[in-house]
Amino acid sequence: MEAGSAFEVYLERALELFGIEADETERMVMSGVWSLYEPGMEQLRDADLDEVEPELHLDLSQAPPR
Amino acid sequence: MSALDLPLREQASRIASGDLDPAELLDDCLARIEERNPDLNAVVATFPEESRAMLEQSPEGPLRGVPVLIKDEWPLPWRAETVGAASVPGVHLEPGESGPYRALRDAGAVIAGVANMHELGSSSTGNTSLYGAAHNPWDLDRCPGGSSSGPGAAVAGGLVAGAVGADGLGSIRYPAAYCGLTGLKPTFGRSAMDGHHIPNTETIISGPLCRDAADCRLLASALFEEEELAAGQVGPLRIGVAREPYWTDCVEGVREACEHALEALRGSVGGELVEVELPDQELILPAALLIAQSEEAGRLTAANLNSLSPELSVINRGVLKLRAVLPATLTARAVAARTRIRRGVAELFDDVDVLAWPTVPAGAPPLENPTIELPSGPISADAANARQGVLANLSGVPGVSVPVGLDGGMPIALQLLGAWGSDAMLLDAAEALERATEREFVELRPAAVA
Repeated sequence: MEAGSAFEVYLERALELFGIEADETERMVMSGVWSLYEPGMEQLRDADLDEVEPELHLDLSQAPPR
Repeated sequence: MSALDLPLREQASRIASGDLDPAELLDDCLARIEERNPDLNAVVATFPEESRAMLEQSPEGPLRGVPVLIKDEWPLPWRAETVGAASVPGVHLEPGESGPYRALRDAGAVIAGVANMHELGSSSTGNTSLYGAAHNPWDLDRCPGGSSSGPGAAVAGGLVAGAVGADGLGSIRYPAAYCGLTGLKPTFGRSAMDGHHIPNTETIISGPLCRDAADCRLLASALFEEEELAAGQVGPLRIGVAREPYWTDCVEGVREACEHALEALRGSVGGELVEVELPDQELILPAALLIAQSEEAGRLTAANLNSLSPELSVINRGVLKLRAVLPATLTARAVAARTRIRRGVAELFDDVDVLAWPTVPAGAPPLENPTIELPSGPISADAANARQGVLANLSGVPGVSVPVGLDGGMPIALQLLGAWGSDAMLLDAAEALERATEREFVELRPAAVA
């Protein structure tokens, strides 16, 4: 990931906001892991989910009510 | 041949009939752990005194006197779990009676030791642990799979005939696949979980890793407690096949062996292959990852993260801190995606009895560098495995991994998913698959232990 990418800018500010300390190696891990899953996260961010009716009383041991 | 090499069910049967002394079996088991574990590093703790006490007090249950292992993910009355890590952020782990412990005890089983696991359960490889990596008995330089690395390596290495693992994003099925075993990820909520350090989990479930489906049925029945997993005959199966990328982006040897196995199964029980598309396929992996990570997110405070143990791997230190800053909106969208995916999966199971694809897209990678080469290019084994495995955890449905061949000398496996509550049927299908392949692959043993 290029230095100064949107993720790295976000990461710097988020770590500062939450008061989380991270050394250079940990930051490299974060960037590496994010880059691995970033395409999927972007698809999730952009997916049209507005019309999804929430599943009330979620029970993952059963099929959802239909 | 030692009685330890018998199937779990045969050990139980011989003990029940008086043909096998369970005290001798436990002694043999502990001796074998001492002999083989230095190479495998599958077991991180034994406690002969407590094991012998369990045996002395064991009730007349279906597993009476049979030694098993339990993953380092639950407390025992005499030992706190470590989750393969120097510490778990924000959690004080203590000894106690966990659900899996009680289920095993009440079935008469004897816990002979605690099995290794990937640090914090965070990988499908098993190459990192507080205790050092477990090693794959098929090739000691290769990953045993994770996060239930110790259960996989121990059963494949002949230390025990069955072990209890946990599957949060595929963590039973990956080591079963890498080690040539059968592993069941039960329907969410069906097996014992009390005492887990993530009590609010919506993804993790306990389950068995054994040499074949019949042994998985026996061990899973104990974990299911009140619910019996009766054996039956599977009829003609409508087998749903989602080709892209679950079949197409696998190494050739894996794809061919899984296709051959599936054809053998269909030829044996009848039925048809049905081409299907998974609902919101591109959202399955990110949604599962986000929901799983959110289960512990409340503990990821600055105070906890700024005082992480230096013994924790740098990968997990970075990942934990990344989790703490992920936008909540993404997790909320993951929940909405899960809702739509669950409804879509339910509709799919109107048309098919099982879904099938390779459990992992390539055999076990080297411990030192767990990357694999797929048709789509080089990729971390974790990312590729998760793509194949997480639908069951996201939706709650059961899945079973069945060994179906070797590629380059390493085991490979076919995964079958069924509708919610179809655990017994999945094991029936796994047994049918074993018969269809003349049990060739469940009878294979690593050269080191053959």
